[in-house]
Amino acid sequence: MNVGSQADRTLSLNMTLLSHHELDGFGGVGEGVAMQMAKDGRRILWLAHESAPKNFTAVDVSDPRAPKMVVQTDLPHAQVRSNSLEVSGDTLAVAYQTKQVGMKPAGFDLFDISVPEKPRLIAHFDASGPHSRGAHCLWFVDGETVHMASGAADFQPRNPKDDQFYRIIDVRNPSKPTEVGRWWYPGTREGDSEPPVRRMPKFDSGYRAHNTNAYPERPDRAYIGYIDGGAVILDISDRAQPKLVANWRHSPPNTGFTHTVMPLPKRELLIVTDECTKDDGADWPKMTWVVDNRDETNPVPIATFPLPPVEVFAKRGGRYGSHNLHENPPVKCAHRDDRIVLATFFNGGMRAFDISNPYQPVEVGYFVPGAPKMSPKGSVQINDVYWDDRGVVFCVDRFAGGLYAVEMKI
Amino acid sequence: MSSNGFTLAGGRDPFAGRIPISVITGFLGSGKTTLLKKLLRHPEMCNAAVIVNEFGEESIDHELLETSSERMALLDNGCLCCTVRTDLQETLRDILTKRLHGQVIQFDRVFVETTGLADPAPVVQTLASDSLLADKFRLDCVVTLVDAVNGLQQLDTLNEPLKQAAIADRLLLSKTDLARPEQVAALRARLADINPQAVLIEVVQGEVDPALLVDVGLATRNVPAEKLSRWIGPLAAPVGSSGGSGLSPHAGHSSGIESFCLWFERPFTWSSFETCMTVLTSLRGPDLLRVKGLVNVEGEAGPVVVQGVQHIFHPPATLPAWSDSDHRSRIVFITRRIERETIENLFRAVGALGTMRAG
Repeated sequence: MNVGSQADRTLSLNMTLLSHHELDGFGGVGEGVAMQMAKDGRRILWLAHESAPKNFTAVDVSDPRAPKMVVQTDLPHAQVRSNSLEVSGDTLAVAYQTKQVGMKPAGFDLFDISVPEKPRLIAHFDASGPHSRGAHCLWFVDGETVHMASGAADFQPRNPKDDQFYRIIDVRNPSKPTEVGRWWYPGTREGDSEPPVRRMPKFDSGYRAHNTNAYPERPDRAYIGYIDGGAVILDISDRAQPKLVANWRHSPPNTGFTHTVMPLPKRELLIVTDECTKDDGADWPKMTWVVDNRDETNPVPIATFPLPPVEVFAKRGGRYGSHNLHENPPVKCAHRDDRIVLATFFNGGMRAFDISNPYQPVEVGYFVPGAPKMSPKGSVQINDVYWDDRGVVFCVDRFAGGLYAVEMKI
Repeated sequence: MSSNGFTLAGGRDPFAGRIPISVITGFLGSGKTTLLKKLLRHPEMCNAAVIVNEFGEESIDHELLETSSERMALLDNGCLCCTVRTDLQETLRDILTKRLHGQVIQFDRVFVETTGLADPAPVVQTLASDSLLADKFRLDCVVTLVDAVNGLQQLDTLNEPLKQAAIADRLLLSKTDLARPEQVAALRARLADINPQAVLIEVVQGEVDPALLVDVGLATRNVPAEKLSRWIGPLAAPVGSSGGSGLSPHAGHSSGIESFCLWFERPFTWSSFETCMTVLTSLRGPDLLRVKGLVNVEGEAGPVVVQGVQHIFHPPATLPAWSDSDHRSRIVFITRRIERETIENLFRAVGALGTMRAG
């Protein structure tokens, strides 16, 4: 008997639902969740949609028990998705990735959101090209630089799956974003002197950048999940010429898709996630790793987060495995923590782990909503998480459920 | 939790991540099954597991949806219900393993119903002494039902009901609709005398707000001040504070049950405190019905939480900070035939006692 999957049920431990907002029927949210402290004191949560027709939605979460939608925007056509966004001050950066190479818009937009109800386009950075699908994910926390995973007009990958690489864009003059540096995995670009990269034997997902994080504690470093290329740490002290510091590869034997590399500088640790991209446990296990980064040229894995039983969750419907983290963004409204890590696991919901002992992470709470109405997978697919400085946690569903505000008792 | 920059890494939160267990006890006919039936109907209890003694005629099997074995069943609201065949320890280990393998629901709370004749202390001790269970579960609350019609007489004549009442966090008066008002009043007074720490709640036909029975124990070390003072109870409220009653030591002398709070001005060294408690538990363990304390230990930033039943104590846990400027140690004792002075003298003899005053 397996009665444990309970896809229709909300499961929780040490977490309580404060509110649920279905975003007016467009409850599919990608992996862009960022909070703005508006000039009038309102807290506005900005959400990038997972796919068309909607671009992004802003929700006033000043009272997390009574969220109110402020604005919801449309994409120009159904062949483009936003997926990722970030907020710095009153500037919003939104990524655009097209379904096919050569399409537009591909790149990112900058919006002035000083009046949240009326986002005003400042500039579009065009990353389209004959071999580019544009930007999948971006990081923008200091008001000056967009770090992103994107293709470019002048970049021809040897393999079409390797089209998005790390690009550094100076946006100090927001009306004229300018590329100041880039790095791609050696051997992935046509014309590289290095040999072609080894494809993953089981699931060939590509050697592409995914999350491209940089923190003020280490302004000279970029931490990049490079999908099938593993975790990449770059020295970006000279932005024009990023240099490889370390590349931690753990696939094969694992099945690739390294997604996020989050440093915990004071603890000399990295938290690394591998995204689950297959339904029904086909790519299990997709784990979240604790990596010893004391010698940053030699990252050493020391633990993985204890995941809830695959026997239960693989049968819940859709994907089950690691994905996003609350990434400790160094911005005004975000909580930052190097003891409790919040992570999302699609149908495994949002989970909190205590890594006080980094060799032995312990799950200390979870929130797994029951299957949202109209869920195509028959289960929730919690995609991303954001922990604000009041202690409120927001998580989003990939397809239908929209936004959940949660109070943690830990 | 800090909102500006990183928090300091300390040890693992000793409370978080553990599944809360509430023990439902009470003498024969006090209404435990009726209470559980009603409790499990509340939507927020839909992921609970309940461990009962048997699926009997008077048990909760009227709502059984599916029986997977003679020992486990799924109720129509989705709760897991199982019986204790051999012992509780084994049952808890069993449902934990089955939860891991998806053979039962992902329960987030456990209710354990004791038999009417049971001494609930060993149930509580199991959660502290079995290291596997202690790692996965935490005691949330001891709920004791007392029959308003027969309770007074039971307390006067039998040991079990007395002990059940003495160690409770919540005392539920059942059948108050069948009892005369003066009976209820006398019982209330008696129970307040035996256990002034417990919250008294009247229930009719098992109807009770579940919020009164859950989240009683500590779920995290980052516990708000108000919750911490609720946990340690009214005996430890400082005299003159808004919540304090300046209670004098309570002694149900007719029953031999005493409850009091000892206060200590000077911080302990951990070894001196441990010595006191070791001596006390080895000499008088069976009569230390319940102990709860916040102890100021030299070198620790916040109070050390201690809690025990008889000779078994949960591992001590340090909270990150004191909630106010009053850093005195406070330890609440509910004892059987141990005078307050005996314990005071012991602490004094070990030399740990600074200036102490009655709580």
